[in-house]
Parts: sequence; C-alpha cells; structure tokens
Amino acid sequence: MAPQARVGLIATVVGFFTGIWLFLAPFIVEYQKVGQDWVDATKNDLWTGGALIAISALTLILFGAFALRDAARAAERKNATEAEES
Amino acid sequence: MAKYVIGAAGALLGALAGVWLMLAPFALAYQGSGADWADPTYVDFWTGLPLLVISLAGSILYISGLVEELRRRGIMRRPYTAPVEQSQAPPGDASSSENNVDQILLPLVTAMLKDMQERDRERDETHRETPDNVQQTRSAGEEGSVSR
Repeated sequence: MAPQARVGLIATVVGFFTGIWLFLAPFIVEYQKVGQDWVDATKNDLWTGGALIAISALTLILFGAFALRDAARAAERKNATEAEES
Repeated sequence: MAKYVIGAAGALLGALAGVWLMLAPFALAYQGSGADWADPTYVDFWTGLPLLVISLAGSILYISGLVEELRRRGIMRRPYTAPVEQSQAPPGDASSSENNVDQILLPLVTAMLKDMQERDRERDETHRETPDNVQQTRSAGEEGSVSR
C-alpha cells in the first residue's frame, strides 16, 4: 500500500468521527432539547452526520477489503515465484 | 488499485459534506443573514470547514497513491524520466542530485562528442584530398607567383 493512502485513511477515519460528532452535537451543545420536536439544525446535523458516518464506514470497509485482496494476490504471486525458483 | 478509487470517492463525498455543512445554516435559513451567529451555525460551520480541508487533503493523497500504483505497474509514465540507455548508468557513490545532473548533461555531452567526431572525420577526409590539391595549388602558385 502506498504511504500516501495510509495518510488518506486517517482522513477517512477523521470523517467518520466528524459524523459521530455531528450526530451528537445538537444534544451536547444543547440547541436541541431532549423530548422536544427537532429543529431544522438538528435534522440537518443528524442527516449529514449519518451520511458522513455511512460514507466513511463504507469507504473504510471497502478499502480494507480491497487492500486484503491485493495483499493475498501479492502473497500468492510471491509463493508461485518462490516455487518456480526452487 | 480499486481501493484508491474508493478512498478518493469517499474523501470527495466527505468534502462535499463539509461544503454543505458550511452552507446549510444559510440554505435552510436557520441562520438569518446579518444576525449574530447562533450555536447551530457555529457548530455546522466550524465542523464543515475542517472536514472540507481534511477530506480534500485525503482525496489528494488517495489520488497520488493511485498515480504511484499506476506508475509502478507501468500504466502511467513518470514525468521527466531519462531514456532507457541513460537510466542504466551504474549507481556510484555520488549523491542522487549529482546523478540527476549527470543524466541531464549526458545527452548534451554525447551530442557534442558526436559532432566533434564528425568534424574530425571531415577534416581527415579533406586532409586526404589536400595532397593532390596542395600539389596543384603549389604548382599553380609557383606559376602565378613572382619569384623574389
């Protein structure tokens, strides 16, 4: 894996935690009272935060899956070349 | 290779979410224009701005990773690479910057050498031709010259 992509993964993880923050922010900052109807800001933050969590999680899962697939293929190729040499 | 594309797409969507967060208070009109910023506006704006910056940086990094992968596989060519003959120069003790300078100067020096060799060859050829010519010119000179 390219070293740039590892740093890119950190950006995706930051995006994930930003989504969690957005999900909780209305209640932590207290511009949304518990039990009352949701104000526009709360709805926006919950939807945006949820979307961000979903996007980041999906990106992380797919990236991990494809990275594992690439690693498995590289290991297979290495084993095949070692078997040919010996 | 697909992993980098997925990462870049995810980071770009994150950047778009950041842009939306910065604009949402005004777009959804829960922040009146000209009025002091309310708590939701502060939260959304100051969450959206870092998210935008970080996601853009992330997408650039994923794309640069993709470019490196493409170069490693030989699909994309590296810019400013020397031709194959020159790149096979043996690695010496000199630093990489010196090697780069050598690689830049090498075609120039070889062209100059080739030019000099051609000139020498032409000169040799003219020298071979000149003994006859010299004899002719000498005899012509002797004919035309005024003996002192």
